[in-house]
Amino acid sequence: MTAIEAALEAAAEAVRATGGELRAGGTDVMTRPARPLVDLPAGADLHGITWRPDGSVRVGALTTITDLLADARLTASYPALAATAAAIATPQIRNVATVGGNLLQRNRCWYLRTPGFACHQNGGDTCPARDGAHLYSAVVDQGPCVAPHPSTLALALLAYAATADVHGRAPLEIADLYGDDPTRDHVLDSAEILRAVHLPPPVSGERTAYRRATARERAEWPLVEATVRLTLDGDTITTAAVAAGGIARTPLLLPEVAEALHGGPATPDAFAAAADRATARCTPLPRTAYKVPLLHATLVDALTAACTP
Amino acid sequence: MEFSVNGKVVDVDVETTDTAAELLRERMGLTGTKVACGTGVCGACTVQVDGRTAAGCLLPAGSLAGREVTTVEGLGGDHPVQRAFAAHDALQCGYCTPGFVVEAAAFTDRWRAEHGTAAPSREEIAEALSGHLCRCGAYAGIYAAVAAACAGEHDDPEAAAPARVEAVSKITGAARYTTDVVLDGMLEGVIVRSPHPHAKVGEIRCDGPLAELLPPDRVVRYAGQPVAAVAAPTRAEALALAARVEVEYAVLPTVLSSDDETVVFPTKEIRETAPRANEGPLAKAEWNGNVRGPAAMSWRARTAAKRIERARKNGDRNLVEATYTTGVQAHTCMEPHSCVARWNGGELRLHLSTQAMTRVAEQAAERWGLGPGQVHIVAEHVGGGFGSKVNVTTDVVAAVELARLHEAPVRVVLSRAEEIVDGGTRPGTRIDLAVLTGEDGGLAAFTMDAHGDSGVSIGSNAAWHSRFFYGNAPRRIRDYDHITNRAPGIPFRGPGLPPMLWALEQAVDETALRRGEDPIALRRRWDGNPKRRALYDRVSELPLWRDRTDPGVGRVRRGVGVAAANYMYFLDPGTKVSLTVEQGTVVARIAASDIGTGSRSVIAGVVRSALDLAPGQVRVELGRSEHAYGPSAASSCSTASIAPAAQDAARRLRKALRGHSLAEAEGLEVVGRRPRDRRGYVTPFALDHFAIGRGFSGAVVVTEVEVDTLLGRVRPTRVWCGIAAGHIYSPRLARSQCEGGVIQGIGYALFEQRQEDPATATVLTANLEDYRIPGIADTPEIDVHFHTEGWDHVPGRGVGIGEISTMAVAASIGNAVRHATGHRFHDLPIRPDRLLEGIAE
Repeated sequence: MTAIEAALEAAAEAVRATGGELRAGGTDVMTRPARPLVDLPAGADLHGITWRPDGSVRVGALTTITDLLADARLTASYPALAATAAAIATPQIRNVATVGGNLLQRNRCWYLRTPGFACHQNGGDTCPARDGAHLYSAVVDQGPCVAPHPSTLALALLAYAATADVHGRAPLEIADLYGDDPTRDHVLDSAEILRAVHLPPPVSGERTAYRRATARERAEWPLVEATVRLTLDGDTITTAAVAAGGIARTPLLLPEVAEALHGGPATPDAFAAAADRATARCTPLPRTAYKVPLLHATLVDALTAACTP
Repeated sequence: MEFSVNGKVVDVDVETTDTAAELLRERMGLTGTKVACGTGVCGACTVQVDGRTAAGCLLPAGSLAGREVTTVEGLGGDHPVQRAFAAHDALQCGYCTPGFVVEAAAFTDRWRAEHGTAAPSREEIAEALSGHLCRCGAYAGIYAAVAAACAGEHDDPEAAAPARVEAVSKITGAARYTTDVVLDGMLEGVIVRSPHPHAKVGEIRCDGPLAELLPPDRVVRYAGQPVAAVAAPTRAEALALAARVEVEYAVLPTVLSSDDETVVFPTKEIRETAPRANEGPLAKAEWNGNVRGPAAMSWRARTAAKRIERARKNGDRNLVEATYTTGVQAHTCMEPHSCVARWNGGELRLHLSTQAMTRVAEQAAERWGLGPGQVHIVAEHVGGGFGSKVNVTTDVVAAVELARLHEAPVRVVLSRAEEIVDGGTRPGTRIDLAVLTGEDGGLAAFTMDAHGDSGVSIGSNAAWHSRFFYGNAPRRIRDYDHITNRAPGIPFRGPGLPPMLWALEQAVDETALRRGEDPIALRRRWDGNPKRRALYDRVSELPLWRDRTDPGVGRVRRGVGVAAANYMYFLDPGTKVSLTVEQGTVVARIAASDIGTGSRSVIAGVVRSALDLAPGQVRVELGRSEHAYGPSAASSCSTASIAPAAQDAARRLRKALRGHSLAEAEGLEVVGRRPRDRRGYVTPFALDHFAIGRGFSGAVVVTEVEVDTLLGRVRPTRVWCGIAAGHIYSPRLARSQCEGGVIQGIGYALFEQRQEDPATATVLTANLEDYRIPGIADTPEIDVHFHTEGWDHVPGRGVGIGEISTMAVAASIGNAVRHATGHRFHDLPIRPDRLLEGIAE
């Protein structure tokens, strides 16, 4: 076992022994009720950005969002990642919050974060939001819990078909980090450590955009958000990847939207028709019906922005 | 672990769950770093770690090992951006200021390293400071300060003087607030609150001293109502102790709607204990189950009702009728309610975050059976109030009772969750309004029924204020309180007026649209107030109004809306200011708080100019109840009370000096009194220290918005805020306060709303992430205009501006959105979901 692996193993063992939780930057776990916290080991290979000979890149899970944004080669190579990351939270959160923490953070449902409510996420067997106040809940209903997944960064990683390197596991697709278990926001065990994400070699000349719908101008969790990547040949869309958040229990890649765009023209009508494919999967709650047109609008806005020089 | 803080290496032991903010504040005494939200949203706790900023309330203390930390104290007041904040008045109460300054310093350093002295754009500044919230709304000054500091305008320490006299202490973190007070042997008090919205409390068991906080009938009537308080040496221990308190609750049916058959206040006696959402005396009204009302302020009510009824029957298109609603708005001051209490030889000493030290001292004396002069209150700096800190609140009762039980000083500081649930709210309303225009184009009549969603409080009084606006046409005005098991409303900046104007000023706008008349021209005809007419005349000639264009049908549509406000003039006729000559300077003293409104600076300015003194020759000491009697910083009465008293004191001092210099007059003391207004007051004698003076202050607000019809966002881009309140004593500070009023109005219009679980009425927005107040990026360009004529009957000729500046803002936004989209929104806030649903209709 290498020193790195020993350090990771020790952290994992500490979590298992205490029944606690791993801590990266702490910007999420420190807002939740105190319990044993185990800091991820410094000095392991969890930090930093490493380029591979094939042009792909490994981003350590403890890399802060600010460090990610400060890496000129990374942001130039993966413009959708840069645009998406730049929209996260606020400067002083981005300075501390990490790539891994963003992917594996807990959802922001106000029932989960207000004392006194039992729900699927805290040992109960109901979802008080479903029949209660769910203005900010999911519009794609995937199961008992209706809290939207809070990871913005995941949208970019989904759009880039990135993979996750989890200690003790074979590489996972980003989408496979998330599942339909209503008791949690990702599939890893409490002692499993996300070490890094890998992005495949960049594509030159791609058109990208990130858009987020909020009430205030900045510093607000998205009602709906979307990341898009396109390549164009003239006005024809040759490749497309589209992901959306704020709408479902998991960050969602929307292959049906990409498929609708593929080979078609980069026109407002085509964008609207493609966005229709996404709204077709919406199953709104009574108070999240507004997210159906908002998802459509956010996708159209992002696609338009990506194609606007 | 070892780390460096402000250049000094320290060695401390920390626990895993300790935060950097706790470590710095509680163990190192660096209280410039404030904790306001506790969830990384507001940025008051921002520190630099190796030059990068971080939210200290979320940052694990252990992560500082081996790092260099700079707090606001470490900036030392020498950073150009600190001087810029002081010069541009980029602060009011000052509680958020250290966090802003630490962030702005990091940004300015980075910016200048990359861009030299080119000024950053508003967008760049907004992005850099997006992690900070200021409840006073000092954002306009902050934009100016950061831009000027980046441009190198404050590199010279002498370049510009601070705009307010206490600015330096606020930008350096030296200003001490109640939350910063630490006394020897002090315990931390924590309040045990009811998890049930309605329950009878039985036995309470605790393994230590416990102070009960229950009403006489031991019934709790909202989730979060205080039950008891306990104290321990640390907050963590106190919280643990509180968690061990066993309370027996006999749960009662929850009243979520006023038509519920369970009655929240079943007896006459217990109704007397209902909290009040109004200021001043409460109009009489009947109780009918859970509905109290109507409290009527009508004028020719029957005529009004008859005219409206006839118009309705005839389908008269001159009748504009609609129902408007407003959300419950939380004060959520950046400094939470906080009190440090200690008993000392039968006397009670309080450090208190209060707007009303004399009033609270009186209430405390009565409550604890003390004589006058046996309650001593210190409130040197107060981190915002907005109406929520004018009484003996739970924090005071808990701290005082616990201090007696423990025979030790006790500090009680509410958490942000407690603050939002129980620290104060403006009641929500539903207002039914019918406005009828006569054949002559004049206001023929209106009827307004306001139904207050005031929780367990009474006196929501929104309709009441429409009595005094738009002349003397017949009007039926009725206020109802709908009592439910929700947290009480309390007075909030212009109590009742923002919701009333949200309804009235949109109805007036709709009337103008139907008549094809310019909305300002119609107001000018209906509104007899000459001072407001001057504002109408002025703004109607400005390009903002004159050149407004067809919003078109594009994605982003621009609209411009107007609304006006009218407010009573309050003062405290008993106000006094003392002046004492000490070591060649004049020291002004008064028992009043400066909650960010600028009272210190107003007094300093008045005394200085009356006595021809240099800035350093006047010192103002506020915030001690022993000083000369001062007013509450409430009902916009401070300046109108304090400034004339200071003027009178200065006149007396000049006389007493008899031409001698200050150096020759050591110890000379005079007390100035607030001279009486010419022709006296509307109220023959002061009620609860307040008098209602003659005349009304006025405001006219014109707002331009951009509506993104695709993503459903309303963005105010420009605001003209015209205020008619006579002489303005300190124009820069007055502008700041009005800009803040505009920004709070924007929050009310677009973002702010208490949300609750429909089944239990538990508040779900008990944090600054879910309870959304405006940030710097939501701040439009604001042009404040003061119309200073009139008020000749008032000594000093100036009245208050704190409330009039915020009242009409939401309505002006509603009218602007109507202009932009063609849709009339009746419900506040205009959230994206409502906007999208509205324009889809």
